[in-house]
Amino acid sequence: MAKKERWENVVPPVLETTPGYIPDALFERAPYDPTAGEKGGYSNYSYWGSTLRAFRKNKVAMFFLWVLIALLVFTFVQPLLPGQRDPNLINNDPETGYMLKNQPPSSEFWFGTNAIGQDLWARIWSGTRTSLFIGVVVAFFEALIGIVMGAIWGYVRKLDRLFTEIYNVIDNIPTTIIRMLFAYMMRPSLFTVTFVMCLTGWFSMARFIRNQIVIIRDREYNLASRCLGTPTTKIITKNLLPYMVSVIMLRMALAVPGAIGTEVFLTYIGLGLPVTIPSLGNLINEGKQVMLNGTLVYQLYYPAIIISIITIAFYMIGNAFSDAADPKNHVE
Amino acid sequence: MSKTDVLLSARDISVTFGKGHKAFQAVKHVSFDIYKGETFGVVGESGSGKTTIGRAIMRIQPLSSGEICYNGERISGSISRELDQEMTRKIQMIFQDPMASLNERAKVEYIVAEGLYNVSHGVSHEYVHEAVSRALSDVGLLPEFASRFPHEFSGGQRQRIGIARALIMQPEFIVADEPISALDVSIRAQVLNLLQKLKRERGLTYLFISHDLSVMRFICDRIAVVHLGEIVELADTDTLYRHPLHPYTRALLSAIPVPNPEVEKKKKLLVYDPSMHDYSKEKPTFVQIEPGHYVLANGPELETYRERLAKQD
Amino acid sequence: MENNVVLSVRDLVVQFTLRGQVLTAIRGASLDLYKGESLAIVGESGSGKSVFTKSFMGMLDKNGSIKSGEILYDGMDLAKFKTEADWLKIRGHRIAMVFQDPMTALSPLVTVGRQIAETLELHQGLRGRAAKEKAIEILRDVGITNPERRYKQYPHEFSGGMRQRVVIAIAVACNPEILICDEPTTALDVTIQAQILDLLRDLQKRYGLTVIYITHDLGVVASVSDRIAVMYAGDIVEIGRSDEIFYDPRHPYTWALLSSLPQLGERGEDLFAIAGTPPNLFRPIKGDAFAPRNPYALKVDFQYRPPYFDVSPTHKARTWLLDPRAPKVERPKNLDRIREMGGFIHE
Repeated sequence: MAKKERWENVVPPVLETTPGYIPDALFERAPYDPTAGEKGGYSNYSYWGSTLRAFRKNKVAMFFLWVLIALLVFTFVQPLLPGQRDPNLINNDPETGYMLKNQPPSSEFWFGTNAIGQDLWARIWSGTRTSLFIGVVVAFFEALIGIVMGAIWGYVRKLDRLFTEIYNVIDNIPTTIIRMLFAYMMRPSLFTVTFVMCLTGWFSMARFIRNQIVIIRDREYNLASRCLGTPTTKIITKNLLPYMVSVIMLRMALAVPGAIGTEVFLTYIGLGLPVTIPSLGNLINEGKQVMLNGTLVYQLYYPAIIISIITIAFYMIGNAFSDAADPKNHVE
Repeated sequence: MSKTDVLLSARDISVTFGKGHKAFQAVKHVSFDIYKGETFGVVGESGSGKTTIGRAIMRIQPLSSGEICYNGERISGSISRELDQEMTRKIQMIFQDPMASLNERAKVEYIVAEGLYNVSHGVSHEYVHEAVSRALSDVGLLPEFASRFPHEFSGGQRQRIGIARALIMQPEFIVADEPISALDVSIRAQVLNLLQKLKRERGLTYLFISHDLSVMRFICDRIAVVHLGEIVELADTDTLYRHPLHPYTRALLSAIPVPNPEVEKKKKLLVYDPSMHDYSKEKPTFVQIEPGHYVLANGPELETYRERLAKQD
Repeated sequence: MENNVVLSVRDLVVQFTLRGQVLTAIRGASLDLYKGESLAIVGESGSGKSVFTKSFMGMLDKNGSIKSGEILYDGMDLAKFKTEADWLKIRGHRIAMVFQDPMTALSPLVTVGRQIAETLELHQGLRGRAAKEKAIEILRDVGITNPERRYKQYPHEFSGGMRQRVVIAIAVACNPEILICDEPTTALDVTIQAQILDLLRDLQKRYGLTVIYITHDLGVVASVSDRIAVMYAGDIVEIGRSDEIFYDPRHPYTWALLSSLPQLGERGEDLFAIAGTPPNLFRPIKGDAFAPRNPYALKVDFQYRPPYFDVSPTHKARTWLLDPRAPKVERPKNLDRIREMGGFIHE
């Protein structure tokens, strides 16, 4: 509606014809206010407000945001619902006393059971909770350490050479080897997996931030800040990082599914979480073992579907947010 | 003018970019004095090193040799923390491109107040707010602009925000690096008038860097013409426009567009070709040819310049 | 004169949509371009001068379109063109353009000579040796010394001024009828700027081009333009022969543009300045768009948009000051200096 009004207001004056009669009184000098022409701008712009508004306009991203929120909430609410089973409980048939192993999905076990009779429904939600936790924690530390190191690396010229050499050395060692080394040295646990991933994940983030900073560090507004005596840390936090909000957000959004995937991989090669802690990695690992048996393939499908949803959701949200955070897209 | 009036002096300064065989000397043994209260112009084309001279004074470009003194005290090279703070306050800069020189992600209030936070610690929020409002109205902007972001403003307004940011430091000396060349002609006058007004009211001293002599004539007291890192001619503005001697200065002057179609269509353009100098036998020196008028020339050239001066008078 | 019109624009309205809002960049502008003339379109940034000429070549950004009006050229109405195929018949072929930044117009990976030869092959049907020889000839025409050697070089081996010469060479190689130069010298040094303008004037004669210059600096076009159109807020507010605009301007905006030239300033005095900024074209404009910044504004300027008033058969201006009922106003004094202005080298 608002749009239409504006349209109608714009077009007629463009083709306006002058009326035949104009009162002579109008041909008088008008009072002149030199400041009147100064006000032509727009007003009440807020960076974050506009970012959110632009984000909300992206319907697909909003949909995935709600999916993700629902997923997250459900992983916490699920254990409190009535009639849920413990994810580690081995279910036995009350009559025969045998394990209810590899039961296909039924009204009793919604997602079926696994090879030792554990309820897959309960394990999937518990696993999603664990994996999301790992993903978020790892992405957070990756970003934190990566941004701090990357910013110093990029902005402090004297350290550039040193950092680059160190990076080159470390970058030449496959991260898997570093991860395996630490995973062997430490006891398999949630902490170990998270720690091992944080240990290596920030390298590429730091490198990325460094490159971004090198691109913008010599722009005039940064020289201006130097001329005003602004300390380096403040230049980094006030001048450089705010320009990178959108790219950092995108990287972080992608880091979450990335970390979940790494956990799957580590578990797959046997260096991940102990089987007592269900995670999407553990579940996929179990599923893969029965993958070739067509009737049991559901054990792989369910965790795989959840991972896909999480990955796609973060990807869409990250992209949409990074677009929305770019002020070029904030035309008020 | 007496020697005591010298506010800033550059002694034999050189700036070299890069190292080894890739080294490029952007500024070659340049010396000049800037007197208190004057506007000293540096004119030259891209690659002449004029911006580098400005940045060397701002201490964001280290010198490879020579020194810069402010009020007789050396400010180039490593200096004490106190002097550094003092110079940050006293020497400020206005940048060329108003689109690139403001932090797009900060509000005008922060941009203008930035320097204040650095030199005066623990200032109250009200004080900052008050100072920003004053600085904005000093440059002809409305104080309510403080809560907006730079991208809402036009080029001329943004350049004035840049000036307000320098003014809030209460500087004595301002390096204006092509402050108007990125602006529309119609907006240039606003900014130039503002600079003139501030100079009158606050006794500021300017180093005004530009590639456009038509503007310098109007604002500068003395002008140095630089070409490939060297000053080729230095004189007070009237003298330079009346008796331009160095062929490069003359080429620059002839290139100024004249807003008069009849004259402009007949105008002869002078083209400067550095190979017109024969410096194989005698190297040029920087010589005072008439009071306050210096030119880079060797013996035979000086002869012809003197003849030309005599003819003109 | 009438039959010599090559391009005729009638009541052109161009609008852009940005995030659901409509910006009217051109508000009903009309223009006749005569064969063989050079016309300068002068205005501030945001006045729509670039958009106006881009609309002749189908080069509007994706979110922009011609809402109404006609662009008549060679019996066609360009405003009706929809497809890229339509435009390719015109763009670069009949109407060519020289941009402000020469680097964006050249491919860094292809030799300068090849780029010109390719244009010749495409537009003039020359082949092989003939194309190469013609390319070298054009390079010489645009003032590049030693064109045989330069032919084999890449754009990065050229200085800014030389690159702009190459861009001009490519534009001329299309053998266009109309050449549009969008701020052709803004990115260049002053001495180079004057040389490029000299070159353009020379080429215009030699190739019989019709040239449109777009610039924000009235001072620059005195040497090259036969006629000048002054644009403000998406409309032509004054148009006339070059001498009429410089010696007898009528629109207060033209006065302001001329008065604010630093060449007219006196040392120690304030320069004439236009206060404020151009209007926001997202909002509807009532009356004369320049009124809020105009010290000579009449009350009627805030109410009704002025029509064109004829000053001479070749000179008209859109201002109520030319209405017989308007009070007499004196234009800024320093405009009288223009006639006496000489060059800056006296001898």
